[in-house]
Amino acid sequence: MSIRMTRRAALGAGLAAATLPMPAIGQGNAPKPDRIVVNASGGAMANLFRRTYNAEFEKRHGIRVVDTSPVDFGKLRAMVESGNVEWTVTELGGQDFVRAKQMNLLEPLDLSILDLSRYPEAVRDTHVFPSSVYSTVMAYRTDVFPNGSHPKSWAEFWDVRRFPGPRSLRNHPVDNLEFALLADGVAKDKIYPIDMDRAFAKLDQIRQHVTVWWTTGAQPAQLLVDREVVLASGWNGRFFDVANKGAPVSIEWSGGSAKQNAFGIPRGCKHPYWANQFLQVMTTPQLQAVYATELAYPGLHPDTVNYVEEKVRPHLPTTPANLEKQFWLGVDWWTENGQKAQEAWNRWMLRRG
Amino acid sequence: MDLTLRGVVRRFGAVTALAGVDLNVAEGELLTILGPSGSGKTTLLKIVAGFEFPDEGSVRLGATDVTMSPPRSRDVGMVFQNYALFPHLTVAQNVSFPLEMRHVPKAERQRRVAEALALVELAEYGERLPRQLSGGQQQRVALARAIVFNPRLLLLDEPFGALDRKLREVMQLEVRRLQRRLKLTTLFITHDQEEALILSDRIAVMNAGRIEQIGLPGDVYARPTTRFVADFVGESNLLEGTLLDAGAAEVPRFGRVALAADGAQPGTRATLLVRPEALRVGADAAGLANRATGRIVETVFLGLSVKLRMALEGGLELLARLPLRPSEPLPVAEGEEVPIGFSPEDVHVIAHGAR
Amino acid sequence: MAHASARRDPARARERTLLALAAPALIVLAVLFVWPLIRLLSMSVEGGTLAQFEKAALDELYVAVLWDSLEIALIVTVICLVLAYPVAMWIVQAGRLGFILGMFFLLLPFWTSVLVRTYAWMVLLGRNGIINRMLRDWGWIEFPLPLLHNLLGVLIGIVHVMLPYMVIPIYAALLRIDPDLKRAAEGLGAPAWRTFLRVTLPLSLPGVFAGSALVFVITLGFFITPALLGGGRVVMIATLIEQQVREFLDWNFAAALATVLLVVTLAIYALLGRLTGGQGHAAR
Repeated sequence: MSIRMTRRAALGAGLAAATLPMPAIGQGNAPKPDRIVVNASGGAMANLFRRTYNAEFEKRHGIRVVDTSPVDFGKLRAMVESGNVEWTVTELGGQDFVRAKQMNLLEPLDLSILDLSRYPEAVRDTHVFPSSVYSTVMAYRTDVFPNGSHPKSWAEFWDVRRFPGPRSLRNHPVDNLEFALLADGVAKDKIYPIDMDRAFAKLDQIRQHVTVWWTTGAQPAQLLVDREVVLASGWNGRFFDVANKGAPVSIEWSGGSAKQNAFGIPRGCKHPYWANQFLQVMTTPQLQAVYATELAYPGLHPDTVNYVEEKVRPHLPTTPANLEKQFWLGVDWWTENGQKAQEAWNRWMLRRG
Repeated sequence: MDLTLRGVVRRFGAVTALAGVDLNVAEGELLTILGPSGSGKTTLLKIVAGFEFPDEGSVRLGATDVTMSPPRSRDVGMVFQNYALFPHLTVAQNVSFPLEMRHVPKAERQRRVAEALALVELAEYGERLPRQLSGGQQQRVALARAIVFNPRLLLLDEPFGALDRKLREVMQLEVRRLQRRLKLTTLFITHDQEEALILSDRIAVMNAGRIEQIGLPGDVYARPTTRFVADFVGESNLLEGTLLDAGAAEVPRFGRVALAADGAQPGTRATLLVRPEALRVGADAAGLANRATGRIVETVFLGLSVKLRMALEGGLELLARLPLRPSEPLPVAEGEEVPIGFSPEDVHVIAHGAR
Repeated sequence: MAHASARRDPARARERTLLALAAPALIVLAVLFVWPLIRLLSMSVEGGTLAQFEKAALDELYVAVLWDSLEIALIVTVICLVLAYPVAMWIVQAGRLGFILGMFFLLLPFWTSVLVRTYAWMVLLGRNGIINRMLRDWGWIEFPLPLLHNLLGVLIGIVHVMLPYMVIPIYAALLRIDPDLKRAAEGLGAPAWRTFLRVTLPLSLPGVFAGSALVFVITLGFFITPALLGGGRVVMIATLIEQQVREFLDWNFAAALATVLLVVTLAIYALLGRLTGGQGHAAR
């Protein structure tokens, strides 16, 4: 019930934003297409996307927004290389935005249209729009570990004697190598460059106790709900969602791996002007607040938090108390070493026993 | 071994396929079940083979009651309509199959397979696959397979249907020769009355789940006991009339027909059968007791004979078949008016009430 | 002579008509299949070297995964065969109603996505899944059986998806067998089991081989089901190819892996083709 109220309140804020008078910047500069294509994650997220950013863009500019999914880096590359760019704007999954920029797959952002002046310096970029923040965190069953008796660090996650029960980690080296190093006593600011041998040696210790190496984002939350496992890593929004629905699942922010979600404009995009206009819509704090309230993935506009209900704030990765327990994923290291790490990971997974 | 059926009834839901069939095939006899499709002859065959079981009645092979026995314990050799040769087995393996199932030792099996193949003149074909043989050869394999284990009874299910005319005649004679030589009790199913007349020791004519008449081929042809048999076996002129006394009958639109014999109750309705070859046309008709005038509607040249369709004044149509010699021209032409006649001895009376 | 040619011409015309009718499909195949295939092959040897293949062939990781994939495909094929054959026989013998019922239940899963079916298995097979809960409630087990997140779960999931691909060819082969052959065998003295072994089974082999080839080859390409039901422990070659394409954009290496998979698949087809060769016309 309270959730519902929260959502409605947030949505109301969003709608209020929609009616704010907007400065008419150079609309005459580009011919108006009858539609643009925005490619982003599908599922529940797409639904919310449609209700917030898409709806607002359509209202502001009278251009229809067609949403497609999934986010696919290979497809982006194929589009740009073939010159047949279907997407106006696309989400960039995981750490792909660095590679996308390196491989020259993105148009530069037009900062005269897209106003990032109030965004934190650290996330401002010439080609990549930081849309929101999410984090890979530890979650646990509150009925198995009641009253704060849950593991509070990756070292404790590794401690199967004190915290028995099946666990789930992602079937992917990203985050896991970091978690292993943290569990092995490495300080947060000393993670990079990753010592892979040390990380895998630490992973060897937990291997037997990980019953599921998850593949899709929905899996870890569901595994906790089904009591398949009692501890899992996963994306904070997914845990937030099942917890909201009443599942006995909660998040431990310590050692969480924070990262930004990114959007970009594919190089050769047919309507770069409107692409920038769309991203500008995405900077609207009131709309970002709807997003944060419903999914716990807050945008990076500093005002956003003001529009998020008090109750939700502790569940956001950007809340200062949470943020200081986490580390920022080393995107550059992964861009450099991803394939090598993945092969090592595959090899490690294949080892019998 | 003889085959005896007593009161065999088989129903499929509301449809009665067999309505009480009694039949005896004597040892070494070839008895033909002749009937149109839907007459129940296939059901009868399946019941004898054991693929169907009767609702009532019994089936005996010799002294053994096999009414409810499965096919494999009946020792019945069967030749299927499409031969049902095992396509993945060689000719020899096909023929050997029933012996294998009877655990005949290998050496004896080989000897008997060779014998059976020699009997059907396919001694050289043992290693071939069925699809490498002609239709006639396939049929011989099927026959060899059906007799190699000395069955108590041989069943032939319309085995000649797929063969061309010439081959069919050859195979018919061959089967007859083999059957005689091996003294095989044989039940032969066909809808082809000509084939039945050529092959059979006796013929049983089936209609609507019953045997209408059973007898020697000549009897069934010349003296059918029912209108159905008269019509189904051979070509016929059937005149519907009423018996008068003193060896005569009244046929509407024809008039009075003189008969050779009487004895039936006057006033009885009857069908008069006159075979086409008994009709005389033209000068030959003079002096016969039954005469009329007919117009030739159609002539069909058949080589040895000519078939005439004639319209009588009263509207009746009659068929005649006249023998031909190669050197002679056709005796009549279409459209001609000719006298026709038949003698009282050539009229067969089927009195109604005799069913 | 004149007759012969007069008779041949309409046949040729007919052939031409059929070719014209088949042309759109052939063109679509050429454009959507043959062309990408050529691209794939050329990508795998880009730069004029076989280095990609060297990596695929010499790296124990890829060899091991390919081997595992073949093993899983083989196990799935055998299980499908054992399960499908009786089902196909039942459908043939049960006549019209059996056909409708059988096909309905076989094809029903096709109307839902593989992903949904895979999640359904997770609900059924999990530690606290329906099956384990039932067994525990009945007191048959104390601890949950490991049905999911291992090879067993993967096999169950794939077999479920693949079963129709095995049933339908076997069904078609059984249907083609003249029912008189079975009667003939019985009439010649064969008990039911010998009729099956000597007649029905050999004549249905083309269907068995066709179904096996289909199941085997399609199974080799699975990647969603093993990832979700295997708990990450069961890796199939398609998963690695997808990883190379989507995550690392190493299309040259992906092409080399895909080519290896294609060659192995074709080799298996050829082998099965030779095994079936003698049986091609047997089921007439």
